[in-house]
Amino acid sequence: MSVSPSLVEVAGLTVRFGGLVALDGVDVVVAEGETTFFNALTGLLVPAAGEIVFLGRRLAGLEAHVIARLGIARTFQASRLCLALSVFDNILIGMHAGRRTGVVDFVVRRGRFLGEMRTAIERVSHLLALFNGDLPRRGFERVGQLPQIDRRRVEICRALAAEPKLLLLDEPSAGMNPEETAELMRDLQIVREEMPGLSVVIIEHDMFVIEGVSQRVVAFNYGRKIAEGSFAEIAGHEEVREAYLGKETARA
Amino acid sequence: MSRDLTLVWLAEAAVFTLVVAGILAERPWALGATGAAIVAAGALVRFVPRLGTTLAGAFARRRPAALGAGVVLALALPLALRSSPYWTFVATLALLYVTIGQGLNLQIGTAGVINLAGAAFAGLGGYSVGLLTVAAGWPSWLAVLVGPWVAVAVGTILFVPILKTRGHYLALVTIAFVFIFNILMNNLEFTGGPQGIKNIPTLRLLGHAFTTKPVLAGVELPSHANFYYAALVMAGLTTWVLRRLHDSWLGLALNTLRDDEIAARCCGVSITRGKLLAFSIGNFFIGLGGAFYAVMVGFVSPPDFDFGYSLVMLSVIIIGGVDSIPGVVLGACLLVPLPERFRFLHEYRLLLYGVVIVVMLLYRPQGLWPAQVRRYR
Amino acid sequence: MPPLELLLQQAWNGVMLGVMYALVAVGFTLFFGVLDVIHFSHGDIFMLGAFAGLTVLVGLKAAGLGGPLVALPLTFAASILVTGLVGVAAERVCVKPLARASPLMTLLATLSLGLVIRESVLIFYPRGADPKPFPQLLPQGGFEVGGVAIRYESLVILGIGLAAMVAVDRVINRTKMGAAIRAVAQEPEAAQMMGVNLDRTVDATFFLGSGLAAVAGILSGLYYSEIHFIMGITGGVIGFSAAAIGGLGNVYGAIVGGLLFGVLQTTAAALIPRGSEFRDVVAFAVVMLFLVFKPSGILGEKIVERV
Repeated sequence: MSVSPSLVEVAGLTVRFGGLVALDGVDVVVAEGETTFFNALTGLLVPAAGEIVFLGRRLAGLEAHVIARLGIARTFQASRLCLALSVFDNILIGMHAGRRTGVVDFVVRRGRFLGEMRTAIERVSHLLALFNGDLPRRGFERVGQLPQIDRRRVEICRALAAEPKLLLLDEPSAGMNPEETAELMRDLQIVREEMPGLSVVIIEHDMFVIEGVSQRVVAFNYGRKIAEGSFAEIAGHEEVREAYLGKETARA
Repeated sequence: MSRDLTLVWLAEAAVFTLVVAGILAERPWALGATGAAIVAAGALVRFVPRLGTTLAGAFARRRPAALGAGVVLALALPLALRSSPYWTFVATLALLYVTIGQGLNLQIGTAGVINLAGAAFAGLGGYSVGLLTVAAGWPSWLAVLVGPWVAVAVGTILFVPILKTRGHYLALVTIAFVFIFNILMNNLEFTGGPQGIKNIPTLRLLGHAFTTKPVLAGVELPSHANFYYAALVMAGLTTWVLRRLHDSWLGLALNTLRDDEIAARCCGVSITRGKLLAFSIGNFFIGLGGAFYAVMVGFVSPPDFDFGYSLVMLSVIIIGGVDSIPGVVLGACLLVPLPERFRFLHEYRLLLYGVVIVVMLLYRPQGLWPAQVRRYR
Repeated sequence: MPPLELLLQQAWNGVMLGVMYALVAVGFTLFFGVLDVIHFSHGDIFMLGAFAGLTVLVGLKAAGLGGPLVALPLTFAASILVTGLVGVAAERVCVKPLARASPLMTLLATLSLGLVIRESVLIFYPRGADPKPFPQLLPQGGFEVGGVAIRYESLVILGIGLAAMVAVDRVINRTKMGAAIRAVAQEPEAAQMMGVNLDRTVDATFFLGSGLAAVAGILSGLYYSEIHFIMGITGGVIGFSAAAIGGLGNVYGAIVGGLLFGVLQTTAAALIPRGSEFRDVVAFAVVMLFLVFKPSGILGEKIVERV
């Protein structure tokens, strides 16, 4: 997955939690567990210094819901689904920003609203079917009844439903066994095929996944970028190996 | 197909009969028979295999017919209760709590906005009506339509800043507000002090004064029946509006922001706007209930709108079903008449509510009629 | 502008009230620290402490042990014990089971529990609806300092209140259980891994908080010479507000918040016409204003949410 330079430019980004510096003068980042980066990007955190420019617009300091409407969607490390709501509902909320009907339509011009909702549900079903043909017919079940792997898919669909220009995936393989990870990689492949214009940034720890899906990798350690390039280049980079394997082993 | 229809109508007729019998039975044998019938009906549904699911299926397949039958029975209730103006009044009160409950449910159940000042917002509606009619000479029907907006305005002005903070602070502020409201109403001159505002003129619609006894199907009904039918329309409209709001982009956004604010924000939902909308719309209907109450009883005074009533409104929602439109209706229809029927329990009313709520929250937090998945109909 | 002596007098009264508020506030803040819950029935626990104290006092008087030196310590001890146990029971039944679920549930449950406690006292205490006179056990009379009247009674109340606060501080900072409470408040999982028994620590916290509320309740009875079954509602709101003002989770914040609240309430009441009637309005308005502008409190609230 690539990050085209004109899509996101991050310069000197710094985020502090009290005395702790979580991100330190970061330039363009992927990988190495920095949810803080995503949080700064999507407006959940306000950076102490630096700039984020998205499609020519400055993001730092904007509210999260405003940034979402500009075309950035994300998933979360710990699944954030509304377990009591239906599968469809959990994905439809992703389309909230694009809705065309309002309170008046909901009450008195219900036909208009129902028409829009029908189209929306069709699109949601289509998205779900891309990953698991079984899911659309379970659309009105509570999402809490789905197995973990399908819940991850629902979360990805929610992000995709917004038709974003940039998709951020936060450790999608966390907690997955090898079979599930293989399914995940297949899912990411599907995303790439179905949405060729979409740029995706993934935070990942699993080298297997990174190797399998990435076009460009950026690694960093303790909040600082330490390397950038293809997977092969990163894997051979000394500082990266040090960070992952420890000083002695890296030299070996 | 017609088997479904028969089942639905039979079930509704049975419930109606049991309810009316339960209300009106006086002599020991009648009371005993009704009690036994209710227990038998309950046991039947619970223990006869598949009876419950068959009934549920029939109701699901025949929703319009079920609704229609329900409306007919609701219209017929005052006829059945015509011997008791008191119970006509109680039935009307239940409808008021449906109205108020739907508003409060939008706030607490759907959006997770914890409003413990329901009594104060109802009081704002009621006192506005009192002031507009008695002090400013407005006709009652107009005052009832305008009163709720006062509740909305006060709610918006006072609470916009707090809505941005965390839930438990809002709860605290709303409790404080009920007490402030009560103390102010008690101590300010223009609100009548502890006596309140008296002699609020009754409703007059199309020349028909609500104090005259109406005639339905040739039968004369107690004058309270006028208010019953008006309240039925009001509660019906309220429920209709709120159901449509619930099954919409708004309801979905509110549920999401209730369950996971961060996910909602990242989907483009403005938390402040959502909470404010839920708070305002809810306060309108709560104020509407209070406004109607004012013209119904003809006076308002501070003890009518104290913190205890906030808790009663809360009980309706929790016991009926949080975020459940039919649950609110059920909650109101149970919680208003029951303490009146079991008068000896009246003293223990609030205590029982408290115990039942705690038990419900521990063992059946979704309420008696849990919220269903959205189907967007 | 009222004379300086009047303001000082009110400030002194404010300190008295503030000490009582602080004791209730500490409970709220401890519970929030340990379980991330707002224990809405804590105010009614405070009321229960007062009534428990009254019952013991009445009983002692009937048994001929009405002298202050004997009755007071016994009353405090008995009330703390009873109230503390009720607090733990409340936590076991109502708070801990729901602590995992949404905060909304806990709020509603504890609110309802408060209702149950309140109504129980109303119904089951003889003539519960009436305010109950609290026996006068403290020495009467006083002296004057710079135009401000200081009653001996007030000094004793202040003394007991301060002693209670010092005791809490000692428990929290010098005992093993106190260390456990602090650990659980900061990082429950890590604390458990270090061998802290979560359940017992939570129980101890609730016993401590409720016991403090009992002390506050009895002090309130001594101060006003009467108690009323609804005193818990106002007490709870003010206690929670004081804790919020000081920053939820922060014990010193709660104490500062309580004192601040008491002084604010009395001085504002002195400055506003018809202030004493509207005293509670003033108090609540202050709360509302404060929460609007500085919801995280003076000394800062502990933040829970992680993304």
